[in-house]
Amino acid sequence: MATIYQNLQTLISRQEKLNFNFSLFVQENITRSWWLTLWLLILTFITIRVTISQLVAAPVITAVVLIIWLLSIGMVVLNEVTRQHTNISLWLKENLYNSITNTQLTLILTLLIIAGLRAFYAYAWVNASFETDPEIAAQLEFTGANWGAVIANMRNLMVFRFPKEETWRIWASLALIIVLGIPSVYIYQQQKYRRSKIRSALTFLWILSPIIIFFLLRGINEENPLLPQVNPDVAWGGLMLTIIISIFAIVVSFPLGVLLALGRRSKIRGIPAWLTWTVALGFTVWGLIYSTPPNLAAARSTSEELLSYWPLAIPIVAFLFQRYFNGNVVAAFSTIYIEVVRGVPLITVLFMAIILFPIFLPPGMQILNTWRVLAGFALFSAAYLAENVRGGLQAIPKGQYEAADSLGLTTFQKYRLIILPQALRIVIPAIVGQFIGLFKDTSLVAIVGLFDLLNVANTIAAQPQWLGVRREAYIFIAVIYYIGSAVMTGYSRRLEARLGVGER
Amino acid sequence: MADLSPQLPKTRSTTIPFWRDIRVLGVLAQIAFVIVAVMGITWVVRNTLANLDELGESQFICRDGTSSFRCAYDFMRLDAQFDIAETPIPYEPSDSYWRALGVAAVNTLKVTVLGVILATVLGTLAGIARLSSNWLVSNLAKWYVDLMRNTPLLLQLFFLYFSVILVLPPIKEAIQPFNLPIFFSQRGINIPAPVFMPSFAVWLAFVVLGIIQAQVLWIILGRQEELTGKSSNRFRWALVSFLLVVGIGWYVSGSLTSTQAIMTPKSLRVREFKDLQKIMLNRLKLADLGDIELALSNGTLTQEDIDAAAFRICAQKESASEVNLTSQLRNANIPYTVKRSTRLDQATEAYANGECEILVASQSLLAAEREALEDGANHVILPIAETPVRISIPNLEGLNFVGGAKLTPEFAAILIGLVLYTGGFIAEIVRAGIQAVPKGQSEAARALGLSESQRLRLIVLPQALRVIIPPITSQYLNLAKNSTLAQAIAFPDLWTVSYTTINQSGRAIQIMLIVMGSYLSLSLIISALLNWYNRRIALVER
Amino acid sequence: MDKLETAEDIIICRNVHKWYGDFHALKGINLTVKKGEVIVIIGPSGSGKSTFIRTINRLEEHQEGEIIVDGILLSHDVRNIAEIRREVGMVFQQFNLFPHLTVLENVTLAPIHVRKWSRDHAEEVAMKWLTRVGIPEQAHKYPGQLSGGQQQRVAIARALAMEPKIMLFDEPTSALDPEMIKEVLDVMRDLARSGYTILAVTHEMGFAREVADRVIFFDGGQIVEQNTPDQFFTNPKHERTKLFLSQILHH
Repeated sequence: MATIYQNLQTLISRQEKLNFNFSLFVQENITRSWWLTLWLLILTFITIRVTISQLVAAPVITAVVLIIWLLSIGMVVLNEVTRQHTNISLWLKENLYNSITNTQLTLILTLLIIAGLRAFYAYAWVNASFETDPEIAAQLEFTGANWGAVIANMRNLMVFRFPKEETWRIWASLALIIVLGIPSVYIYQQQKYRRSKIRSALTFLWILSPIIIFFLLRGINEENPLLPQVNPDVAWGGLMLTIIISIFAIVVSFPLGVLLALGRRSKIRGIPAWLTWTVALGFTVWGLIYSTPPNLAAARSTSEELLSYWPLAIPIVAFLFQRYFNGNVVAAFSTIYIEVVRGVPLITVLFMAIILFPIFLPPGMQILNTWRVLAGFALFSAAYLAENVRGGLQAIPKGQYEAADSLGLTTFQKYRLIILPQALRIVIPAIVGQFIGLFKDTSLVAIVGLFDLLNVANTIAAQPQWLGVRREAYIFIAVIYYIGSAVMTGYSRRLEARLGVGER
Repeated sequence: MADLSPQLPKTRSTTIPFWRDIRVLGVLAQIAFVIVAVMGITWVVRNTLANLDELGESQFICRDGTSSFRCAYDFMRLDAQFDIAETPIPYEPSDSYWRALGVAAVNTLKVTVLGVILATVLGTLAGIARLSSNWLVSNLAKWYVDLMRNTPLLLQLFFLYFSVILVLPPIKEAIQPFNLPIFFSQRGINIPAPVFMPSFAVWLAFVVLGIIQAQVLWIILGRQEELTGKSSNRFRWALVSFLLVVGIGWYVSGSLTSTQAIMTPKSLRVREFKDLQKIMLNRLKLADLGDIELALSNGTLTQEDIDAAAFRICAQKESASEVNLTSQLRNANIPYTVKRSTRLDQATEAYANGECEILVASQSLLAAEREALEDGANHVILPIAETPVRISIPNLEGLNFVGGAKLTPEFAAILIGLVLYTGGFIAEIVRAGIQAVPKGQSEAARALGLSESQRLRLIVLPQALRVIIPPITSQYLNLAKNSTLAQAIAFPDLWTVSYTTINQSGRAIQIMLIVMGSYLSLSLIISALLNWYNRRIALVER
Repeated sequence: MDKLETAEDIIICRNVHKWYGDFHALKGINLTVKKGEVIVIIGPSGSGKSTFIRTINRLEEHQEGEIIVDGILLSHDVRNIAEIRREVGMVFQQFNLFPHLTVLENVTLAPIHVRKWSRDHAEEVAMKWLTRVGIPEQAHKYPGQLSGGQQQRVAIARALAMEPKIMLFDEPTSALDPEMIKEVLDVMRDLARSGYTILAVTHEMGFAREVADRVIFFDGGQIVEQNTPDQFFTNPKHERTKLFLSQILHH
């Protein structure tokens, strides 16, 4: 207000003519072209409609907004005309009132956002119930959110059916991670610990920690008095399962992905063409002699007759193999694996894991659904990780390979000491991004019947005492997912910035 | 030059033990890899065969009762015996599994194609909004993008389906935003839809003709420009001539090829379409049909009067001729009611019984129906005007919407969910793409005196597209793959129906091969299309 | 066991050919280098001079002819390749230091992992070489923190730490700013005088005149002319050599 008053004074006290031409202003901002005028008319109409409807719905707040809007426009215009912008008015001018369209949009959006926030506030707080006892909650009359259902189910959402008396094992796992994590932040950053024993000890403990946590969470065997075994299919669930799956998938897929990426890029001499063709033609002839005639005899339709000549496809495969991979089986295998897995939906991979793993394994061998899903996620994630790592490998200049060669390093040493450390460092942000994707994709296990965070949220609506309470649970877990992803995104951004300006 | 060709003991140069020969080592590694891979595959195959043995030979049963690998897919010809909620092509539970999967594949394609188009539009808008100079707009867009990117798609789908669409009001109280002809209810979303008349084909021919002649004119004017060196504004001329041809085509195809007609009793005394209006004026005792609203409000007429006076029309369900007639009546403010029958002969029967005054259908069919009537001579057939396309608007009649297009709750949820989710990712790609164009490019364009639209169209967009296309390709692929999440809300897409088929037939391996093959092909087609497009714009760039 | 007794000749190339697809990059190179000899190779770009010195430690594979380094035949035998690479140090135009390792780690890497020295011994030797090239105080910095000239000197120290018998220089000063060229050339001069066998591809004519025992002129994948620096620069025999020299000396 003070600035406006000062400006008014300057405006009045100033003798020289202000260089503001009204007709020029109109011509530039309103009548420049017919469609601009039309657009402004439509927008004005909408603005008025929205304002009136909001005035009806919430008179006081809308009136206040309207007054603030008008006053701030007045201030900006005044400061603009007198050319005496303060920081605030400059910001307002540049970000909210820089054109007639934006000025109106500012009002419309402010009103709509306020209306939305009011509605959400009413739903989530004013009219909401926080009563965790379903019987009391049933007596209450409320129209908003039933947070009591979420609060009452908090343990389910976090760990689902993990035995209550064993809860300490989850706390112990968390404690282990925190105890290792806090010094890591410091030690891995500091140059002076680069070759220290502390750092290697810490690394060793980190490598050991999954095994410890596995035994903590699953137990050792049934008789063990301290860590009795639990059945992961039943006992693992909620946020805990979500985190286990995503971490397991990224950790296991890491070596697989690196191998696949190296395989896809490998330039080792392939199987020579003459050998490929000899084998391929041999199989073709063998197939044509021993497989085709009986099949042809048994064929019931033209398509089956055609299929009987399947050995003729072998030379085509051999040709493609030589043409695209120069006889390099490793590259062919890696490329096909990566592309096939990336080409099919995750849910089909999970289904394969659940239904087809048992068929592929020796008869009678039983594996828990949880292990199948974990394996499915790891195999799926490996293909994507391989592509990320390949991107990193491509970014390493040829000179690095040559320098390593010229020093006499072996191929294994070259990759372990020179290429992979650099390539992996480049792709850390991409891998964090992939981890976020996995964290979200874990929700798909709901479809194959495991109880991750999302599926537990679904079960709340089926509980007789909280029948039909869905929206609240969804909002709550959305917040968990949002925070988890946003924190990791932020971390990867910072990492990217640091790697960008760092050593390269 | 003796020192340049020293004598070497030849014997030592050629003997390299094969385990140290770099050429052999590579091949050996390859062969070792092949052996390991073959052993692994053999192990899996042997286990599979053993497991299948345990499952019994029913997996590969032939029609004649024997069992053979050749018959692995024979079961696909059996009756599917399950219902599919949404059938874009005709399907009955007595159709084969093949047919069921075909229907499901069309559903998947429908979701994917619509999803890709809408997500691109939404993503582009949100991406531009992210760059808006209005702080509120850009921050709202940012919140939208963050929300979409940081929560799982499946959660969004559940929320959308269970907590938004299924809790919409019942159909009687359908929400109609801004009085637009769009209706949201528990039973889905009803939107206006175009209905194509038979003459649409003729009009389409005119459109093609228009494109050809505009192109010809474009080339001719271009040559002239080169000769004279004067700008002839060829874009405008081409557009005008195109619109001219298309406009003429609209009237010609409508009036010349009209195939639709109404049948009325002679007693109604209808000679031409305008007579309907006169009759209605007489019935309501009004001077102008536009006064109905006025008469209703000042009490000269009651709703009962109007309902009694309204023309009663008989028509076949979902026929183009009905849409044609009713939209003309609506335009003329003539009140009407429609009685729809599944088949035309049922409609004719109703008409013959006096349940309605007007029967609408195509001319030839009406002629045939009149032959069938006992008192055929007492009825006249009157051709009605036809436009190539009519917009059919949903209208609540009883407990259902009639006309327009209907999105079922499941389809609406999966489509909206995929569009919102993918749109968030595309927005980021578009924003990054536009920001990747160096500022100098825009400055150079302004310095050359290009207008804002020219700057965007000719300078910024082509360069941004080159950055945008590769990542957007992978988003389209993700959308296609994510459409399988439809299973969670029971929309019958390819995966959902395949899943049902597996459960019903027990043939997991066979169906999984088909499913994975289909999605792989879909992925390959999408990336091939976009790679082709990418190469094209890359060439333009050079 | 594969050592071939050839007295003083440390590198022997006989009729070396190389093709890149259809392009014939090396057309029968014959060259013998004596122990301790300093050879400067010059020639227009694309003449095959870089390709040639890269065939000597198998960064490029030659397809015909024979190369014998320190009595070891350069063949498809992995053991021979490894042995030769241990005896041949190389310095690149783009330095090719390992950016994720400190200067000291760059220099000690190969001695520790290839020569199997203890870390302490390797670091001791590395510091000796870093002192010799004049940058012992930079040992714990990363390559990205050094200037181009310093980086190239680290690269030389890295090659020398393996105690090679032969040093290959592939245009070591071409990527450097003029004021940094001198510091690198000083190190190279120093090496040339202390008895290393050196093959250097370079455009530094002053360096060639001063320390080279022999100057070789490459063109079109062939050795066109070779001579002592005095003779070569003052009295070139071949037309192409004269043309090339006039172009670079007038420049």
